[in-house]
Amino acid sequence: MKKLFFTLLPLLALAMPVIARADVSPVDFVRDNSKQVMETLKKDDGHNTRKVREQVEAMVLPKFDFKRMTALAVGKSWRTATPDQQDQLATQFQTLLVRVYASTMTRYKNAQIDVKPNAILNNSGAEAIVHTEVTLPNSSNGQKPVSVDYTLYKTTQGWRVFNVSVEGASLVTAYRSQFDTEVRNTGVDGLIKLLKDKNAKLAAQQAGA
Amino acid sequence: MKAAQIAVLSTLLLATGCATHPSNPQDPLEPFNRSIYTFNDKLDRAVAKPVAKAYRQVTPQPVRTGVNNFFDNLLDAYSFVNDVLSVQPVKAMNDLMRVAVNTTFGVFGLVDFATPMGLQNNKTTLGDTLARWGWKDSSYLVLPVLGPSTVRDGLGTATTLYVGPERRILFKDPATANTAAGLLFVSKRERLLDVTDAVDEAAIDPYSYTRDAFLQLRAAQIRGSQASAPAAATPAADDMDIDQLVAPDAAPSSAPASVKPDASAPR
Repeated sequence: MKKLFFTLLPLLALAMPVIARADVSPVDFVRDNSKQVMETLKKDDGHNTRKVREQVEAMVLPKFDFKRMTALAVGKSWRTATPDQQDQLATQFQTLLVRVYASTMTRYKNAQIDVKPNAILNNSGAEAIVHTEVTLPNSSNGQKPVSVDYTLYKTTQGWRVFNVSVEGASLVTAYRSQFDTEVRNTGVDGLIKLLKDKNAKLAAQQAGA
Repeated sequence: MKAAQIAVLSTLLLATGCATHPSNPQDPLEPFNRSIYTFNDKLDRAVAKPVAKAYRQVTPQPVRTGVNNFFDNLLDAYSFVNDVLSVQPVKAMNDLMRVAVNTTFGVFGLVDFATPMGLQNNKTTLGDTLARWGWKDSSYLVLPVLGPSTVRDGLGTATTLYVGPERRILFKDPATANTAAGLLFVSKRERLLDVTDAVDEAAIDPYSYTRDAFLQLRAAQIRGSQASAPAAATPAADDMDIDQLVAPDAAPSSAPASVKPDASAPR
């Protein structure tokens, strides 16, 4: 029964965007998803870490637009890349970001997420910045909550996140100069290779741990 | 003749320095910064990080919170001075009250009563004061041991450390002062353990990742402290228009000028 539930859960997460179509406000979108992720993370009892991670990854995957994210991170060179290179870049960057996201969230699994009700709408409502505040578990007093902002845009399938900022620093554009340097030195293919190597290294580390 | 040669040579060196590492216009000192970064990283891996990890293991959370609060209270006093220097009376009042409450009820700052009372913990450093006086953008600077900073903030930190009134008032004996400085450092490092682990995992080039994230974060802090109201809008931290790069729902087929108009996003 429990097993069935766990197999169904990712499916449910995949089905979510269909149920939650364009009418959902960006704030509700972020709130619902954060809640789901945090609830899933709390199921981690030390033995099923990998399973929980996979579930979280499956849950957040469809909520992000990785192509757009990758374009944002790569910047100007994105235009010079062929569609095939773009796909490869997006796939590799997605693997990296999802892995980093999942392990960060595992680290902060007892955090409190407070989604602020007032989102900033840009671009005649097609783009939204949703503010959240994350209170870390062992910050009993003194420590300020960390502000995390999500930038979303409206697609025909509902809202999609394409940028995440922590305390005003974008986790996506922080990659830009690393990517720029690599593209200038070894070209777009060099960057693809670099990302592949990085992912392989992280996968090996994870398997070892 | 000789002077001219040196001048030409150093200009050339500077030019090549810029040509090989033009990755961020805010980092003209990149080669220098990178070498300090490498030094810091080695030091961190060999000493600071293991010590911070051990500190986390042997001390219970309340002790660490107490240690952190104690130093935080000292920083509040500095913050008050900087609030006055940068003419921010509301913040100055807030920070003065914080020090008063935490030094007395909070037993020399060990307990932070001020934050639950609604007195915000917003530190103003000498770097913030200089920014408020008009030095808004400053080049990236990696300080030995202390890590990411800017020329402006580094100058502020150096001045604060040099003046360091607490050395004369609180810790008169140099041994005590050094112990306190060491404890402050370990306490700070411990609180950053999770962040640095995340950066290690996320970054391809940790140097530029740390730099770019730090500069964005610092810019947001400065923006926030400049506005009288709390920073409501976090403008997209870059000048690039994403719709120019990738049309929503579809990848552009290398037609930079004529971006496909998006049905859901009239613009």
